[in-house]
Amino acid sequence: MTRTILVCCGTGCRANGGMDVSLALTAAVDAAAADANVCCVTETGCSGLCELGPLVRIMPDDIMYYRVRPSDAHDIIQKTVLESEPIERLLFKDSSGNHVLHQADNPFYGHQKKIALRNVGIIDSRSIDEYIAHGGYSALARALEMTSDEIIREVEESGIRGRGGAGFPTGRKWRSAAVLESSPKYVICNGDEGDPGAFMDGSIMDGDPHSVLEGMMIGALAIGAEEGFLYIRDEYIQAVKSMKKAIRAAEKRGLLGESILGTNRKLYFSVVRGGGAFVCGESTALMSSIEGNVGEPRAKYIHSVEKGLWGCPTVINNVETWANIPVIINGGGKKFAEIGTKDSTGTKVFALVGKVKYTGLVEVPMGITLRKLIFEIGGGIPNNRKFKAVQTGGPSGGCIPASLLDIPVDFDTLKEYGTMMGSGGMIVMDDHSCMVEFARYYVNFLCGESCGKCTPCREGLRHMRSILTNICNGYGREGDIELLEMIGSTMIDCSLCALGSSAPNPVLTTIRYFREEYEAHIREHRCPAGVCKALTAFSVNHAVCKGCMACTAVCPTRAIVQLNGGFPIITKSCNGCGSCRDVCRFNAIEAVKGGRV
Amino acid sequence: MIQITIDGVSCTCKKGEKLLAVARRNNIFIPTLCHHDGLPGMGSCRLCVVEVTESGRTKVVVSCLYPVRGEIEVVTNSERILAHRKMILALLRKRAPKSDVIAHMCEAFGAPDLPVASFDGGKCILCGLCVRACDLIGAGSVATRTLLKKLAGQGCAYPVAGAGVIAMVSRGTTKTVSTPYDEPSEICIGCGGCANVCPTGEITVTETETGRTIWGKEFKFAFCKECGELLGTDKEVRYAAQRSGRDPDFLCPACRQKRSADAMAEPFGRR
Ligand code: SF4
Ligand code: SF4
Ligand code: SF4
Ligand code: SF4
Ligand code: FES
Ligand code: FES
Repeated sequence: MTRTILVCCGTGCRANGGMDVSLALTAAVDAAAADANVCCVTETGCSGLCELGPLVRIMPDDIMYYRVRPSDAHDIIQKTVLESEPIERLLFKDSSGNHVLHQADNPFYGHQKKIALRNVGIIDSRSIDEYIAHGGYSALARALEMTSDEIIREVEESGIRGRGGAGFPTGRKWRSAAVLESSPKYVICNGDEGDPGAFMDGSIMDGDPHSVLEGMMIGALAIGAEEGFLYIRDEYIQAVKSMKKAIRAAEKRGLLGESILGTNRKLYFSVVRGGGAFVCGESTALMSSIEGNVGEPRAKYIHSVEKGLWGCPTVINNVETWANIPVIINGGGKKFAEIGTKDSTGTKVFALVGKVKYTGLVEVPMGITLRKLIFEIGGGIPNNRKFKAVQTGGPSGGCIPASLLDIPVDFDTLKEYGTMMGSGGMIVMDDHSCMVEFARYYVNFLCGESCGKCTPCREGLRHMRSILTNICNGYGREGDIELLEMIGSTMIDCSLCALGSSAPNPVLTTIRYFREEYEAHIREHRCPAGVCKALTAFSVNHAVCKGCMACTAVCPTRAIVQLNGGFPIITKSCNGCGSCRDVCRFNAIEAVKGGRV
Repeated sequence: MIQITIDGVSCTCKKGEKLLAVARRNNIFIPTLCHHDGLPGMGSCRLCVVEVTESGRTKVVVSCLYPVRGEIEVVTNSERILAHRKMILALLRKRAPKSDVIAHMCEAFGAPDLPVASFDGGKCILCGLCVRACDLIGAGSVATRTLLKKLAGQGCAYPVAGAGVIAMVSRGTTKTVSTPYDEPSEICIGCGGCANVCPTGEITVTETETGRTIWGKEFKFAFCKECGELLGTDKEVRYAAQRSGRDPDFLCPACRQKRSADAMAEPFGRR
């Protein structure tokens, strides 16, 4: 039997030594060549469960190995490939301790549904042949035989909404650009994923670049564009390389260039590297940046479908949206619309990170509950801690408390609760997180990312930051909460672009759901979560302490000493980092009111 | 022609006309700071916000940039709008604590004094008008820079210093307006266009009998060589001449007219 060994070489696994594993496996295959079945090693994009990487999957047996080291290569070839025998120590163990052989039986993967990520982690992203072998470019061929109207009708019927943030219906966007007579027209792929902790789009560009290109090609056919740009975040070196290579490969095959697949349609794509600013993810700023100007947003009263890049009709969609398009054309819009909810069809890719057992890249049907996403797929909160909140939608997303874990994840519901889908960041927080500090952190981040063009965002963020910093430091005053709400409301209504109008979300949602935490900081000078250093001291509860000394080992200032059989914390030396509390398995270390103030 | 209502008043306007212009024509007052009739709009101050209701949906837009494209209902002074204007002015007062223009507006609109620290800045509210003025009329315009570059090859007096004369520098909360590297600009001609449009008087211009200082640079005045009238700065005159492809003649318009009349008269023997 021909076997394929898929080695994950996505960003996460590469950082954990995925390339070395791949090399070791190739060497082991060579060494065993004499009596080996035909067997090839394929390096893939992110397979999802980065937390337990590097991942290795043997096909067609579908045996999935986790945390593989180069030293395991010999065993994998000798036992699994040659003797079809699984290696227990490399398998996933579920919550009841059973070994899980197949990917689909791992609860992390079981609840997922992959459309945008259909090939990511399965094919060698560098090979156009593999993409074609997996059905790639068949949608393009089909689209070439359809009229513009037919293509757009499928997209409209699919109900797909932009995956980049605003959730605007993609079909409607295309339609408005297609009806315009003027030329030239452009298509743009927004790959400027700037959210800290997000890697959805990067993973698609890295792991399945042709799906993005194919989507863009179909879009270009539909609206009548002959040129397209992929604006990719400058830090995504891998994605830039992978997309450039894919464009070259597509050109060689006659899929791009003078004549697409022998027809009289022309199409040229090029990669533009981002200016390194978060605000360039905003579509008008992005276009301004492609034009060679400062990446500042402009007023959007005339939509970019009418007057976009260089004043021409432009359709801009993000990476994930484009990657969905071939599936819609091949399977039909109706079929796509059956997935997800009525108003949010299809699936959404999330980067599940933070205080969750299995961090990684997941794709789930819209409408899944947060609880299922975090507890079943993500495996819940590590170290038996309590879930506190989840931030959705990136740095300017709001957070959702435990009481709302059962709401469905879709564009409109998230908005109703004060947050957003954004591009799909999902950061889970446990009870060692302070919500005021959380708001301060993101406001501070956004302060550095605001372009500074308009008053509400530039000035509002600056004052929000100083008010929040004061609260965290114990200098909060009565009226601060109301002032934050007032500034926030002006930012939402009056900011020029979406960065400013969504920036108050982290503040306003934490006030909405955790107001008492703000009040404790302001009125009692107490940080209930024990995070704000100025308000917190730590003490060891000796009734619970087992004397394991885990805390003494992690304390960076050696503030915990063994004294008369106990472990008192020397307040003078303690810098309030909280590491001891995080590491203690018996919850013997308690945060108490104290600190500087 | 489109019929819209602003604060209940029915107004007629052309498609694409900006809401602010329509309101002004109908004597409806909307406050502005970063708007100038002669310069491209930027929508930075956000003071001119109004509520627009279109097919049942209400949104807040800036009137200086919003093009009228269909039948809409506009409200310029709802509670929501007034509250936002107050907040915007209150925020600007913290940005520009030394500006009496802003202080007066705050008083007039009843903007609260926010209990937050002021910026240690001066009067600038970062409206961007000065940059746009310089880009359009001054030495900062792209067309001019291209021309200067060409002229530089032919021994032009004004070296071309990279970007523009003045620009919005840095981004976000640390944005300022300045010359490249905060040094006196090489290509500024001292025309004062930037200072003329500045709503807060941030750009200081000092003038003596013989010259003008702006952006940390001194400019000599030029006078009409016939009648002695002030023409502007020396650089300004040379720059204007170069832009129109002539040699500077240092004449005021009246004397120039007289001279050409004389020159024309001569061949006809009327002298
Ligand atoms: S909202 Fe913020 S990022 Fe957007 S234009 Fe205004 S200052 Fe720039
Ligand atoms: S909080 Fe940090 S510094 Fe203080 S005792 Fe614990 S580990 Fe040491
Ligand atoms: S004075 Fe200088 S900076 Fe100001 S508009 Fe004129 S050329 Fe530009
Ligand atoms: S200097 Fe004056 S014109 Fe220039 S940005 Fe500041 S306030 Fe506006
Ligand atoms: S990079 Fe390997 S699982 Fe994400
Ligand atoms: S006057 Fe309209 S935004 Fe400044």
